[in-house]
Amino acid sequence: MSINRFGQDAALIALDKFKTGKIDRRGFITAMAGLGISVAFKPGRASAAASEIVVCNWGGAALEAFQKAYGAPFKAKSGMEVVIDGTGPATGAIRAMVDSKNVTWDATDGGMTDAVVLGKGGYLEPIDYSIVDKSLVGEGLSAEFGICNYTYSNVLAYDAKKVGATAPSSWNDFFDLEKFPGKRTMCKWIQGQLEAVLLADGVKPQDIYPLDVDRAFKKLEPLLPNLIFWESGAQSQQLFRDGEVVMGNIWHTRANLLRKENPDYTWTWNQNLMFASAWSVPKGNPAGKKVFDFINSSMDPEGQVTLLRLMGNGPSNPKALALMTDEDKAVYSLAPENAKTGLAVSAQYYADNEAELQNKFLDFISR
Amino acid sequence: MTSFQRWAFCLTVPAALLTLCLYVLPILQVLALSFTEPTFGIGNYVALFQNAAIGRVVRTTVFVSAVTTALTIVMSYAVAFALVHMPPAQRRVALFMVMVPFWISVLVRAFAWITILRRNGVLNSALVGSGAVGEPLELVYNQFGVIVGMVHYMMPFAIMLLYANLSEIDHRIIQAARSLGARPVTIFFRVWVPLSMPGLAIASLFIVIFSLGFLVTPAILGAGRVLMVAEYISVQISSTLRWGVATALSTMLLLVVGALIALAMRSPALRAAFEGGRK
Repeated sequence: MSINRFGQDAALIALDKFKTGKIDRRGFITAMAGLGISVAFKPGRASAAASEIVVCNWGGAALEAFQKAYGAPFKAKSGMEVVIDGTGPATGAIRAMVDSKNVTWDATDGGMTDAVVLGKGGYLEPIDYSIVDKSLVGEGLSAEFGICNYTYSNVLAYDAKKVGATAPSSWNDFFDLEKFPGKRTMCKWIQGQLEAVLLADGVKPQDIYPLDVDRAFKKLEPLLPNLIFWESGAQSQQLFRDGEVVMGNIWHTRANLLRKENPDYTWTWNQNLMFASAWSVPKGNPAGKKVFDFINSSMDPEGQVTLLRLMGNGPSNPKALALMTDEDKAVYSLAPENAKTGLAVSAQYYADNEAELQNKFLDFISR
Repeated sequence: MTSFQRWAFCLTVPAALLTLCLYVLPILQVLALSFTEPTFGIGNYVALFQNAAIGRVVRTTVFVSAVTTALTIVMSYAVAFALVHMPPAQRRVALFMVMVPFWISVLVRAFAWITILRRNGVLNSALVGSGAVGEPLELVYNQFGVIVGMVHYMMPFAIMLLYANLSEIDHRIIQAARSLGARPVTIFFRVWVPLSMPGLAIASLFIVIFSLGFLVTPAILGAGRVLMVAEYISVQISSTLRWGVATALSTMLLLVVGALIALAMRSPALRAAFEGGRK
């Protein structure tokens, strides 16, 4: 799911591009493990003792960042150790764990869509809102089987040197080959792609869902010869660096890294597509109810701002805004001036339609 | 069977057991999913044949694999033929050059090809700089780029297989042909080629089977525009959770590869290749 891919990507941000593929492959191996292959031979699998919380995320830089942002504060408060396992909580792996009654993770860093899908399948514990304070997160960021741990966006990034005097400022510009000649990049993973196409085609934000797929494909078709599809965040960055593309629909964390390395690369927050990542709890997790103390603690604004500064993942607790510098706000999707024109990507819609839509999209772009 | 042969056969038992328990059984377990996910029956297999998108993925895979195999064989044969005719000192250097890509990860190689083939890459810069072309050519993020990457990946394998076969050919036969007045072209097509059939057959089979299962190279060099079976399966397993379709497609792939091997084994050339050289 694209949201997991973001988790993966956020984790990778400090690694070089060649590691990307390894992770992709590992993601694949993890999924294979989910199918019961080699599951018994996975080294480095954290196993939970009664006095610790095991959090599974996507590894890489996120191991240390999660420890600083969530683990250390929780240990200071409760005395409980937080162990971060970077295996990557692929939906397939969670499903296999629960099926085989061999659950080793307490909290997983997945997406809101995954939370709905896995929750419906009976693979998750409902979030215990008698322990977790729902009011700590912004509106729409808490659900039955998941609560938002961080936010991020897909944005329109561009190479200021190549787009001429007026910078592109909307998805409409993204599709305007006359005004902005050159190649673009979009993501192979469906979430946040067709929304941009439909916004460009004049659909009002409130009418985006359910997605009018045929209309989106019709609008996208003429652009296909000028599109390169990225698969991993590192690759999306590389396409800009190589001068392959003039514009792209990419994660804001990557756009931010690009801008840090060269101010010619920048992005517009206009019509950004907002995503919520989420903590979920696999059914029968080893630490039982204690995991909800951890989840509640992870909503502390200080820790969330730490994560924003380390990796660019935005806080889900609105109170974090008060702790931010202008520099922090400039990379935070939910800062009022950035969220003003943003569109919240619907986790519920994707929970119902993602599989089919993803396949349709892959088929369409590879014709 | 003599007692020595029996004893020798027993030596294979541990490896066979290990393979059975750790490889064959889990694979069967996975393939069984194709009949049970999401409901019991052969629905997944019916879907495979009715789904136009899967049809397109299969066609792309077959086409790319066929072109890759043809190009790899022709170029590898040329290299292997040259290797056979080199003096030993040169040959050692040349063989080393053939082997180098073996030690480089498939990912690094794919990215290296992007560096060479992209719009502002090494090749396009040279072509535009020299005035050979006006506009940079579209060499990557399409089928062409995928085939380049795959051929490059497969060539060392094919060269080694063909070289092993060609170096076994008795040079006295060539001399005999020459003394009977055959011209070089005739010698090549009527002596070298027929004698290298076992090598050509086994190399082709090897490349086709490998190509059908390529994952990383098409994903990186195709950038979404070239969707092949392995990537399709991987997406169904890790993203869309359509394990039934994924495992059904994997089963079909396994059957096709099995059938290819079975067919190939009926040809005398391949049997000769598998049974080793001169007895």
